Amino acid sequence: MSASLAEFRIAQPNTVKEAVAACLKHPGSRYVAGGTDLIVNMRRGISGPDLLVDLSGIDELSEIKTDGRGVTIGAGVTIAALARDKAIASRYRALAQAAAAIAGPGHRVMATVGGNLCLDTRCIYYNQSEWWRSANAYCLKNRGTVCHVAPQGQRCHAAFSGDLAPALLVYGAEVDIAGAQGQRRIPLSELYVEDGKAHLALAAGELVVAVHLPAAPPPSAYEKVRVRGAIDFPLAGVAAALTLSGTNVGSLRIALTGTNSRPFLLAGTEVFAGRPVDDKLLQEIDRLVQKQVQPMRTTIASANYRRVAAAALARRLVSKLTARE
Amino acid sequence: MTAAPDQVSIKKRPGVPLIDGIDKVTGKARYTADLDHADALVGRIFRSPVSHADIIRLDVSKARALDGVVAVVTGDDCPHTYGVLPIAMNEYPLARGRVRYRGEPVAAVAAIDAETAERALNLIEFEVKELPAYYTSETARVPGAVLLHDNKPGNIERDVHSEFGDVRQGFAAADLVREEKFNCAEINHAQIEPHASLAEYDPATGRLMMQTVSQVGYYLHLMLAQCLEMDSSRIRVIKPFIGGGFGARVETLNFEIIAALLARASAGKVLMQLTREETFITHRARPQTDIKLKLGMRKDGRMNACECEVVQRGGAYAGYGIITILYAGALLQGIYDIPAVKYDGYRVYANLPPCGAMRGHGSVDMRHAFECLVDRMARELGLDPFAVRRANLLQAPTRTMNDLTVNSYGLAECLDKVERASGWHERIGRMPPGKGLGMACSHYVSGAAKPIHRTGEPHALVNLKLDFDGGVTALTGAADIGQGSSTMVAIAVAETLDISLDRIRVVSADTAITPKDNGAYSSRITFMVGNAAIDAAKNLKAVLVAAAAKKLEAKPEDIECAGEVFRVGKGDQSSLPFADVVAAALVDEGAITVKGSFTCPPEAQGGKHRGGAVGSTMGFSYAAQVVEVSIDDASGLVTVDKVWVALDCGHAINPLAVEGQIEGSVWMGMGQALCEETRYLEGLPAHASLLEYRMPTIAESPPIEVQIVESHDPYGPFGAKEASEGALAGFPPAMVNAIANAIGMDLNELPVTPDRVMDALIERRRKAKRNALKAAS
Repeated sequence: MSASLAEFRIAQPNTVKEAVAACLKHPGSRYVAGGTDLIVNMRRGISGPDLLVDLSGIDELSEIKTDGRGVTIGAGVTIAALARDKAIASRYRALAQAAAAIAGPGHRVMATVGGNLCLDTRCIYYNQSEWWRSANAYCLKNRGTVCHVAPQGQRCHAAFSGDLAPALLVYGAEVDIAGAQGQRRIPLSELYVEDGKAHLALAAGELVVAVHLPAAPPPSAYEKVRVRGAIDFPLAGVAAALTLSGTNVGSLRIALTGTNSRPFLLAGTEVFAGRPVDDKLLQEIDRLVQKQVQPMRTTIASANYRRVAAAALARRLVSKLTARE
Repeated sequence: MTAAPDQVSIKKRPGVPLIDGIDKVTGKARYTADLDHADALVGRIFRSPVSHADIIRLDVSKARALDGVVAVVTGDDCPHTYGVLPIAMNEYPLARGRVRYRGEPVAAVAAIDAETAERALNLIEFEVKELPAYYTSETARVPGAVLLHDNKPGNIERDVHSEFGDVRQGFAAADLVREEKFNCAEINHAQIEPHASLAEYDPATGRLMMQTVSQVGYYLHLMLAQCLEMDSSRIRVIKPFIGGGFGARVETLNFEIIAALLARASAGKVLMQLTREETFITHRARPQTDIKLKLGMRKDGRMNACECEVVQRGGAYAGYGIITILYAGALLQGIYDIPAVKYDGYRVYANLPPCGAMRGHGSVDMRHAFECLVDRMARELGLDPFAVRRANLLQAPTRTMNDLTVNSYGLAECLDKVERASGWHERIGRMPPGKGLGMACSHYVSGAAKPIHRTGEPHALVNLKLDFDGGVTALTGAADIGQGSSTMVAIAVAETLDISLDRIRVVSADTAITPKDNGAYSSRITFMVGNAAIDAAKNLKAVLVAAAAKKLEAKPEDIECAGEVFRVGKGDQSSLPFADVVAAALVDEGAITVKGSFTCPPEAQGGKHRGGAVGSTMGFSYAAQVVEVSIDDASGLVTVDKVWVALDCGHAINPLAVEGQIEGSVWMGMGQALCEETRYLEGLPAHASLLEYRMPTIAESPPIEVQIVESHDPYGPFGAKEASEGALAGFPPAMVNAIANAIGMDLNELPVTPDRVMDALIERRRKAKRNALKAAS
């Protein structure tokens, strides 16, 4: 039932290079920015790093830069700053909507873009106190051997529930990752792995430092279902980006969060190019979503509800974007 | 009924801010965890990891030997059970022999700091032999199920059976008889302040001082004496500021006794602060409830008969359970005129945290079922829901079949007000797609007329002290838990004496200083303590008038006192200011102490049938409300767009506070209706944080248009009745009725989470398809 934090040290680097070096030097360390995810888990005894590498003093991480090639958002930009950025709101609407829908105002002031992209996966058997998890023989994700969500399975099904990732995925965003060998840039979709226990494709000491958005984004929107209009993580979150050519689909991208261990781009939407947005198309989108999402019993709300709601949101977003065009 | 007293007239005022409100909003108010605990040890509880088991071995020696641990206590340290009902105390503060739910306290440590205390908990060795565990009423009642308590066959804590009037005949005479089943989830109070106690034992004097979050300091005082085998004169219980109760703290709680045991064992001061998870596990809230309800109605909407079966999953121990199951039956009556009412109630033990009292105690789930079914039958008969309620109104004063007294009854006016304000008749049937209107009524007691501890003493006492400074100090045991009871006492005294409100100081809830009070429960304080405060103020006034008369050389009956001036008759020539009268009154005997009391007369204390005392009260509050909703087709989300509510509280002593309490009731009912639910995974709480226990946020909070109805109860203080609970039970059914109006689907489960609405919408599409196919063939 512990509510007190175990002791830890804190390092406060001024540059990304120093941060990576500090993290590599101490294998038991973790990066921390807003702390809205990590500190809660630490209080529950889920994570017990003996060193926290605090990123909040690194100025280069907290900028939003625009140039001819697009927008670069530093990983340390707060969700609140992202949500109120006018340039983002006017052109990258899904992203602004996703940012505004994260947790509550108090969280958004602290939480960062990098933190939301690297959010730990969540599960009703995992986000519990030490007493709770111990009484339940722990779980595959933390100290245990069985996934209580799917005891027969081989992997952890904890769900990813960051809101920003699907919005960024529909723009084809890329991320910069700093590590032992300097920086690398990969498509955001490649940052994620469908494994609740190891959902981030990051090597030891690697740090997401920035997100790149292309200059001419398609019209987009984001919507999430949750029981309450604030605080709650998405039971399912959907971003869509749609261009029209005449009254027919030019390009359509849909990405989802909250339903799987990773956020992902819906596969197979390219076949809709050239088709009119009619009931038949919307039904096909619905089916495609229902087929590809894999919600499990990781939340109190039923898995089937999350599947059906994700599909309904996708349908609605496409209709709305069509009407808006 | 005893003749009604002459009521003191009261100035009509818009209401005053709570007298402790500024301290709260400025952060000056000290809650239990804010009290000075610099030199206190840290208390922590070792809790059972299993749901149901015999304890084979509990070894705390390693914990005790740890450096920095000052005391460890176990069930061996307290061989006494505790509880709220003298007839149902079956719970030890620390388990003895058996554990019955996951999280039940087994042992506790006091250490120099939190880290040491937690390390000590990890050193406790606990070996058990597990027993079958039951998490539903159904499985707990299966024949052959292991008994949680050996003296309770079938794991039934209490079954209640009553029939008033002839139900069979009633159904036979009805034009429409319908029966439905409802399922309401267990919920929790989720008061914002987590549980905490600061216990201090002085070994030199053998005295214990307890500062804690209790709504019932007196009961706690008694239980501490019993469990610690202490002379009650050595105990003092003080209530600091409290961050909400709603029934969570309306009985003695295990951690309070444990903190006291630790304080004594360590001969010092112990701060016991529970986490949010532990606060949820301590529970004592509204049980999961299955209801089977059958109603008979005539074509004109008159109700002929009601038959109701209620099964409550009460958790592992008795708590208030007997009262809860009795309330559900008793409060089938007292709101409408129904000639025949049959009730069967079952309170079932299960291996989960014990349930207890929660705002609207016992009445809410039953009222939900009732108001939903009435609405559906009205629809089937083509009647307006308002008309159906009007066809069944009571006439006050009256006694119900189960001997509840109804002395004032403002329900008709409540109906009129919300019908008009919501534009019901202009809008119903013309709502746009996905939008709906629904309504429902509810009621609640103004204090249980028969106290739990039948000492024969008055039901409420207030002492007033007036000294050289001219200040009136009101001493009341009533626990202000945010509902505004101290402000109510101040107003009652100020009005009766016609003196300025800021001349009054209220000292409350300290068992060493204030007169005994049964506590903040069953909405008893305004009615009972309010009457006692008026009585005390009248007694003080008599003393002052006598002194003024002597000084002015007039007869006391000729003295008029108003606005802190005492004069002979209406004249201005011979008058005395308040200060001079006080000085005159002090001359002979010094500081003045008077008291006032209130007792519910025996005829108000319920019928002679078994359990007949429960539900009895001097006055019922009544409420009607209209709820407007929108349903989102894609997500199944219900949005509450607006609420119109009217409550008959007899008289609003402090309209500002009354309005706040009505809004609070509606809002709490909305939480239960929309999204609140405790869920257990094999007995482990899946909901034990404010993230997973989904209380509505400000984002869900609709505009609530409150109207106050004043039926002037003949016995209430200034005519007042309760105002804090009555409007709660009407919200869930009004909302579910509105959903039915919006989507044409009747939902029988609470809360109405989006997945349940989605299922209903899918079912509706299937139905439409089937109907279309039928039409085509």
